[in-house]
Amino acid sequence: MAEIFVLAEHRQGQLRDITFEMLTKARELAEKTNAELTTVLLGKNVKESAKNLTEYAKKVIVVEDEKLGSFNSDAYLKVLSTLIKEHKPALTIIGHTSYGVELAPRLAAAIGIPLATDCIDVAFEGDALAVTRQMYGGKVNAKAILRKSESYMVTLRQAAFQAQKPTAPMNGQILEVPSPLTEEITTKRFIEYVLPPPGGVDITAAEVLVGIGRGIKDQANLPLVEELAKSLGGVLACSRPIVDKGWLPSDRQVGTSGKTVKPKLYVALGISGAFQHVLGMKNSDLIIAVNKDPKAPIFSFSDYGVVEDLFKVVPPLKNKINELKSQKA
Amino acid sequence: MDVIVCVKQVPETAEAELKIDASGKKIEKTGLVFDINEWDDYALEEAVRIKEKFGGTVTAITVGPEDSDSTLRKCLARGADKAIRLTDPKFEGSDAFATAKILHSVIKTMHFDLILTGAQAGDDGSAVVGPVLAELLGVPHAAMVKKIELGEGKAVVNRELEGGLEERLEVKLPALFAVQTGINEPRYVSIMGIRKAMQKEIKVMRLSDTGLNESEVGESGSWLKIEKLYVPPVEKQAEFLQGSPDEIATKIVEILKSRGLI
Amino acid sequence: MPSKDGEIKMDFKLTEEQMEIKRAAREFAEKEFTPELALEYDQREEFPTELYRKAAKLGFTSMRIPQQYDGQGYGVLEECIVVEEFCRVDPGLGVAVSLGNLMVPDVLLKHGTDEQKEKYIPPLARGEKIAAAAFTEPEHGSDITRMDSTAVKNGDEWIINGSKQFITNAPIADTFIILCQTDPNATPPHRGQSLFLAEKGMPGLEATKLHGKMGIKPCVTGSLAMSDLHVSAKNLVGELNKGFYYALELFDGTRITVAAQAVGMAQGAFEKALNYAKTRKQFGQPVFNFQAVSFKLAEMAIKIETARLLTYKAAWTYDREKPNAVATSMAKAYASRVAMEVTDDAIQIFGGYGYLADYHVERFHRCAKITEIYEGTSEIQKLTIANFLAK
Repeated sequence: MAEIFVLAEHRQGQLRDITFEMLTKARELAEKTNAELTTVLLGKNVKESAKNLTEYAKKVIVVEDEKLGSFNSDAYLKVLSTLIKEHKPALTIIGHTSYGVELAPRLAAAIGIPLATDCIDVAFEGDALAVTRQMYGGKVNAKAILRKSESYMVTLRQAAFQAQKPTAPMNGQILEVPSPLTEEITTKRFIEYVLPPPGGVDITAAEVLVGIGRGIKDQANLPLVEELAKSLGGVLACSRPIVDKGWLPSDRQVGTSGKTVKPKLYVALGISGAFQHVLGMKNSDLIIAVNKDPKAPIFSFSDYGVVEDLFKVVPPLKNKINELKSQKA
Repeated sequence: MDVIVCVKQVPETAEAELKIDASGKKIEKTGLVFDINEWDDYALEEAVRIKEKFGGTVTAITVGPEDSDSTLRKCLARGADKAIRLTDPKFEGSDAFATAKILHSVIKTMHFDLILTGAQAGDDGSAVVGPVLAELLGVPHAAMVKKIELGEGKAVVNRELEGGLEERLEVKLPALFAVQTGINEPRYVSIMGIRKAMQKEIKVMRLSDTGLNESEVGESGSWLKIEKLYVPPVEKQAEFLQGSPDEIATKIVEILKSRGLI
Repeated sequence: MPSKDGEIKMDFKLTEEQMEIKRAAREFAEKEFTPELALEYDQREEFPTELYRKAAKLGFTSMRIPQQYDGQGYGVLEECIVVEEFCRVDPGLGVAVSLGNLMVPDVLLKHGTDEQKEKYIPPLARGEKIAAAAFTEPEHGSDITRMDSTAVKNGDEWIINGSKQFITNAPIADTFIILCQTDPNATPPHRGQSLFLAEKGMPGLEATKLHGKMGIKPCVTGSLAMSDLHVSAKNLVGELNKGFYYALELFDGTRITVAAQAVGMAQGAFEKALNYAKTRKQFGQPVFNFQAVSFKLAEMAIKIETARLLTYKAAWTYDREKPNAVATSMAKAYASRVAMEVTDDAIQIFGGYGYLADYHVERFHRCAKITEIYEGTSEIQKLTIANFLAK
């Protein structure tokens, strides 16, 4: 019976959301192809997580080793290539996360199996594997076929699939496998986690956020949007380029590499809506987006859209809100 | 420090309207402006800063058509010492895996202490070339690198994780780092730089120079074959507010009022 | 080179190096001259000092200064390429930044002593200092054949008295060249004029800023008053009584860069209008679909292309052969007219929005006008061409 591998991702004792998203998609694939769903958990003292995973897979392969105490792609690579060579899974699924991005391409090349990264959909078509992935910053979708192989590998985009529990727990069997790591990993060594310096503002606690992106053009324009945020009783948040440019501190960044927010109101100004940003704000109660490009992806995630230069809309908007507030006061 | 930077020329699509061409497998390239991939731009800058601090050389290398010269010239003008362009009709259709093999065929003959690539490219967004190249060369690597501190025979790097978290790793040199945007502030091309760049040669290499055979490159040497491109279906569409900026502002205020937000 | 029988030497391709210069200038201007900054400086009427320094550090403002004096050692054509790209993004900031070291290095390179060159040119090339060339007087605009400002020899010094008007950079300049009548009895009077170097802070030299210009507001303009301004005999530029000829010579080069400003302004406004026409919908379709609009854009494109060819040809001739006053005048007169017409058409395509500052095209139109006026009005250019035809 064919097998599908899902690499469980965890950090600091916590299984990460992507693990359950992958398991959900993998379960669907396993049902369709009559394959067995196996999740692979590498780490140190991960018994608790392993037990948790039995609900989601038929088999939980656990490899425990001191050397797997924190993520090390070289250690992971050695263990996984041993497991994959032995089990020959039809498909190995890894998260398209910082860990997965570091591990999967090198692992696939080392074993010699084809890989498709950052997939938003995966399907077997006979013995071929078809994937859907995005190109050009999400403006185009591509359907691609992987080179014929007995074993495939994919990385799945975060939040592309909604995690769901199986209708009934799968009562998976835990299979403890001795670590194949005989020697110390000397190529790279984990030192520590680094938290961004705490800033003055916690955007995850704000009820109103005004998010700015590339469309803001210049640091000199920040006061304008800052005033709007103030009028609305909110604070400024931003997409990645603004932090890259050093215009706002990194604790204002919304998205996969920043914070996930869920305010009552999110006003997106000059944000195109790359998935990395959208993932961090799409669950806001009300989203209003202003962008010059009518085809900007942000409009697919917004309740209201304005196709206009933000610098034309923001001043009258700010004035009207202030007028209203002064009338009430 | 001899640093090799792998770069790619890509169309700027952030503000452009994209059309899919008649083959259905590519986008229409006419009218698009091409430039160095944004991530590679940071990689190049990092390489030049390392050279400025520690001495050594920077070599920019690309797999691409002839017009990629403008990206290589840009690298030379910004401080790279040498440039290599790998061009062959047989390379067309190469995915990230095949591209990594082509790069490897040349880099394995060169001396280097460090290889820098962008964490991904703005066109295909694969994030594959760097780690695969490292595997082929048998050197350690780190991806999503936000900071590099070089030491004797090793480097300490910060990798970007999710949610604002980073991790610090010590990596043995020679190594390959795939850098994330924001690691530095790329400099402008200066006129002085252009003058210097024009005096440097761009070395052109073809399939026959790589020692690879035809089946290892292009579509046949790739992991992925694109079947078709299409515009993503719109699952949900915003209700668009029309009118003059002033009218739009009024409409937004009404919406906010009705939701009790002001 | 411009000839009555149609002789032309054709090579329309920019070199790879020139293309790189174009790309670099475009990238710099697009990232630095943001629309908001442009609007701000248009309102403030202030020189963008930081931006000028930044551009200078990258070499954009010293294209024609030799490398020996910290310049880039290129020609007029390369300078035109930069100026065009700068003005395409914003005419005000583009002009201001590209005129920061106006004319002083040119004249010193040709006629200055080694000491003058070494002292004055490198800081100007590096953007550390700003220059002003004071020719025009309240009573003498296009006609500089006679100057009311005088310089009188007094021992080892010259004593200068008089006033200058419409002097670019006067209120902010560190280094000045001043055209004075040194021989009041010369006939014709222009044979008795000389050029002197002066520096900011010298007693008797005072600049006053001029406000309310129609366009190119970040490029500050002012008047200059000289009252018993003492300059050393070493500050005389070139030979005594040759100042008028030196000034004329300068115009052969700088007028081509004015044509390049005009081409850039026209191109910038054209691109804005084209983009607007393709996205603005009226009667259910983009306004570009109406021939009244698309034909207008076609005409604009023809004019810009023609103006660019004339400008590049004049620059190419200057660099490869020798300065040609007729080619220069043709380029300046034509390109500046095109800039006026194209920026006007661009506003028309925008309709009501075009009349608003926020949409940026009206600024291009206001700025374009200066190109028909400074460095010799269009009438003066036509006079040059007519004189050639009369021969």
